[in-house]
Amino acid sequence: MGMGRGAPPNNSILKTLQATEMIDTKPFLPAEILATILDYLPVADQMRFARTSRRMREMVYDDTRWVARLRSMGCWDEVEARRRFEEAMKRRRDMANAAAAATAGRGGGKPAVVTTTLFDAAAEEERRRVKEVRDGFETLTVGGTPTSPKQVRGAEGMDPSKDPEALLGVINTAQSVRGHARQEFGRIYGALAPFYFDLANAKTHTDPIVFKVFRDPERQAQMLANLVAFAKSDWAQGWHQREEKLANMVSIFESAVLREFEQGYEFWDVDGRMKKYATVLSTLNGGGAGVELFVQKHPIFTDKEVLANSMDCINQASADTVTLEPSRRFFETLTLKVNEQADILARIFPDPVPVFWSFLDKVREDIVMEYATPLFDETHERSIPAYLKAVSGLFEQTVQFFRSLRPPKGAVAQQEVKAKEFALKVFEPHLDLYLQDELDDFTRRAEREVGDWGKKLSAQDASAESFYMANFANRQADKTDFLTSFKKVVMMPVSVLPTSLSLPIGSPFASSKPASSANGSLQASSPQPSRPHSPSLTSTNPTERSASPMPGKAPTDELAAKAALMTSRLEGIRSLFSIEVALSLVHSAKASLGRMAVFISLGGQAGGEAREQCETIFVTLLRILGGRHIKPGFDKAVAHLSQYNPREVSQHDKGVAPLVTFIELVNVGDLISQMIDVFYEQQLAGPKIVDRNDFLDPAGLAKKKFEQMLDESVAAGLNKGIDVLMDEVEYLCATTQPPTDYNPSSTTPDTLAVEKSTGGPPTPSLPPPNFDIGPTPTAQRIRDLVASHTSMLVGSTDKSMLDVFNGEVGLRLFTAVCKHLKRQRVSTEGAIKLIADMNLYFEYIRTLKNQDLLAYFKALRELSQIYLIDAKHHAKEMATIIADSDRFGGIFRAEEVYEYAERRADWYQVKREVERAMYGLECIIM
Amino acid sequence: MSDTKVTKVVLQSNDGTTIEVDRVVAERSMLIKNLIEDLGDESVTTSAIPIPNVNDPVLRKVVEWCEKHRGDSLQSAEDESETRKKVTEIDEWDQKFMQVDQEMLFEIILAANYLDIKALLDVGCKTVANMIKGKSPEEIRKTFNITNDFTPEEEEQIRRENEWAEDR
Repeated sequence: MGMGRGAPPNNSILKTLQATEMIDTKPFLPAEILATILDYLPVADQMRFARTSRRMREMVYDDTRWVARLRSMGCWDEVEARRRFEEAMKRRRDMANAAAAATAGRGGGKPAVVTTTLFDAAAEEERRRVKEVRDGFETLTVGGTPTSPKQVRGAEGMDPSKDPEALLGVINTAQSVRGHARQEFGRIYGALAPFYFDLANAKTHTDPIVFKVFRDPERQAQMLANLVAFAKSDWAQGWHQREEKLANMVSIFESAVLREFEQGYEFWDVDGRMKKYATVLSTLNGGGAGVELFVQKHPIFTDKEVLANSMDCINQASADTVTLEPSRRFFETLTLKVNEQADILARIFPDPVPVFWSFLDKVREDIVMEYATPLFDETHERSIPAYLKAVSGLFEQTVQFFRSLRPPKGAVAQQEVKAKEFALKVFEPHLDLYLQDELDDFTRRAEREVGDWGKKLSAQDASAESFYMANFANRQADKTDFLTSFKKVVMMPVSVLPTSLSLPIGSPFASSKPASSANGSLQASSPQPSRPHSPSLTSTNPTERSASPMPGKAPTDELAAKAALMTSRLEGIRSLFSIEVALSLVHSAKASLGRMAVFISLGGQAGGEAREQCETIFVTLLRILGGRHIKPGFDKAVAHLSQYNPREVSQHDKGVAPLVTFIELVNVGDLISQMIDVFYEQQLAGPKIVDRNDFLDPAGLAKKKFEQMLDESVAAGLNKGIDVLMDEVEYLCATTQPPTDYNPSSTTPDTLAVEKSTGGPPTPSLPPPNFDIGPTPTAQRIRDLVASHTSMLVGSTDKSMLDVFNGEVGLRLFTAVCKHLKRQRVSTEGAIKLIADMNLYFEYIRTLKNQDLLAYFKALRELSQIYLIDAKHHAKEMATIIADSDRFGGIFRAEEVYEYAERRADWYQVKREVERAMYGLECIIM
Repeated sequence: MSDTKVTKVVLQSNDGTTIEVDRVVAERSMLIKNLIEDLGDESVTTSAIPIPNVNDPVLRKVVEWCEKHRGDSLQSAEDESETRKKVTEIDEWDQKFMQVDQEMLFEIILAANYLDIKALLDVGCKTVANMIKGKSPEEIRKTFNITNDFTPEEEEQIRRENEWAEDR
């Protein structure tokens, strides 16, 4: 039929298709279509279908068909089915083994029959039968046992009142047995279908026999719940109408029960009607309607005792602050009430846990949020610090509240999660604003602090700077001491709760904090550097300093005291930057951070935002502290350094003033850097706000940048510092070294005059210009000068930088000494002094532990010996020394040594001798 | 996208007659849709697509249905295979459409099955299900041309086994 007709010759595939011989098709539907049709058939018709032929029966009886129905009702448990199946398999294997053993014993024979089927149907059947008998439900026996078949016929024929209890549990007792899904379904169908179809056909809500057979609401509810589940397995045509009808009936029933429940509610009949009808509702459909009613109409939401006015928090505090005591009381009352209700809930509802959460959610929305929101709005308008405190404090209280509740049994496990969830819901609307304000507030405060300081400074006469040298030896001890206190303080928790026991450590620094505790009295002094009156330390200060404002009370706070102590020691740099400002900033940051960090516990996006904001605070802290405070301080110090001119300074006994200042600055900078480091470790890295190993972390980057800035400033300053130091050294050389030092015989009144006018008063007076063995005062002063400056740096900057600095200082000192030497006339007598001087330098350089550097000074020491030689008689030896470059470790070439030799006081007398000794003839090298 | 290039295709039934239909209509059949995709547009324009399992009257009937349902969204086969409640009521037009003799009904079902038009197959099966609702086993056998291979006792046994399901 129809081959090749009309097909174009060029299309081979279609042509092939067309050429295919077709089998004559009679209208006989294949099995898969029949199976589809079966799906659309009501159960009764399917069973009739099963009776038409064996093949059809197999198709209808197919277990998966019925498993699907059981599953749709929610009473097929795959795990249970598998377990049963495996148990059956095991039994089967055991029997097979036994049978095999038996047959082996008998020596051959038929293999055990049991292995031929997968399922031990007979055993299972028997077991089920026993069970059903026990259930008192033998009327529904499946498997062809003809026991009283009439009893399952229709609603009329059946007498459910005989054993209606069994009907109630029919779904709950359903079993999942592979190969028996049809029978199981049949059991349920037989029990429920009569009621179901009757209900579907009922005209009014009084009609259905469900309500006639079962009179009490508990059973009616159970039965309706069963029918609702059963309806899900009805997918024959018309299911929609049937289900709708059922849903109608259920809702009519539900509202009737709800009315009863509500009446009980009005009489507060907790253990009577409320409990009874809550159980009924729960049986029916989980009891959502009852819960909602209960929560919506709960008297707690109109309870005057609970509904406090959050404005108390503002009204009871002094102006522009906020006290959290009223809110604490509010939460306390609320906790009591809610806990009370939790107990009642547990008495009323069969499953109190979701009811409790639902109730709590309403409490959160209608009570907690109603309380918090106006407070936040009001404080935000009045004062930002109060707002910040209110938000953070209330958050902690809220979390605390949700945590301290006693939920009904079974809810405890969720409590933490729920507490977070609720707290988040309460604070979500405020969180963005709060975080932003916190950052703004900090930035503002920090900038004001730095700005104030700057203003105050410029008001003072900057030129009247005076320098005070701290006790260098104790520097490191002081710093360690200070840092220890700082660490202690930083580790303490910031708490804005008035009830909290922790000391408000930040109080002397965080001016926004209200005087909420004993130490709060210190807060007023925060913008002023508080200096304790400690005469031992301030004795060298100019009187102007001791007249500076004193705090009302001595700082009771350990850290504040130490900071004050530190400050008093660092008078010299108060015009550059202040450790107190730094401390104050760090404390502000810590307070902000502490307030925000509580929000991190929320987790999720909100927690993440809070964390980011914490980092931003840190970054801002470094930006302001570094960029606006420390950097300018360093710049100024470096500027001072570069302007230094030793000739303009009258006092030279205390070192190079700007350099001392600068080195002090380096020390303080280092201290601040360490403070920041401690702060970072303990406030950010410790509580896992930042990841120390994340090299892209903004806080970590900012910290590195800060440290780098510090290092660069220090390096730049030190560079200048060396110049200045050497200027000073040269100045000292030029002004304090009388020619008589090295050439005692040629004393002139002129040089003595110089010495008098420039000699430093407090140094030991000049020894008489005779043969006193020992270094000259000039050399001693130079040594002291350099040594004091280098030792000041120890421990304040990193080792490599210190080494470079020392190396440079040493080298420059060497150059300066050489230069100085070339200007001197040295007599043989004076040579003793010179050697002593050189020894002094050498000993000093040795303390620097720099071998390369030491070589220079060793050479210098060697060199100084050429002046000792009595050249008149030992010209030859002298010539040998001059030419012996090994002697000077390659530092001096012979020509240079020769130059130094020229500085001998008696050079012109011995020149010829020496040169002759050197070259063997009278030729002139130079 | 494809209907911008070729808008018409020609279907050829097994008795040789051809029907020109819009391509979108023809593509209600997954079989034809895949065929066009595999062979390419060109071969479709140059020759008729043979539908060797379907005769002219049935093909026309099927095309009629496809025309009516050209705008329906194609439901994917495995969409709701396991989930229940796939039984939506047959709409009025389809009910009327299916008012044909049983042979034609079966032919349509077979054609829908062959051409892979799931929606039409569903409608057909539902119609058949409605047809045999309430029928006795003997009537069902007649309808589906099923040979009874049970003894009366066996048949009675099955009835008793499933007494629970009987109508009341």
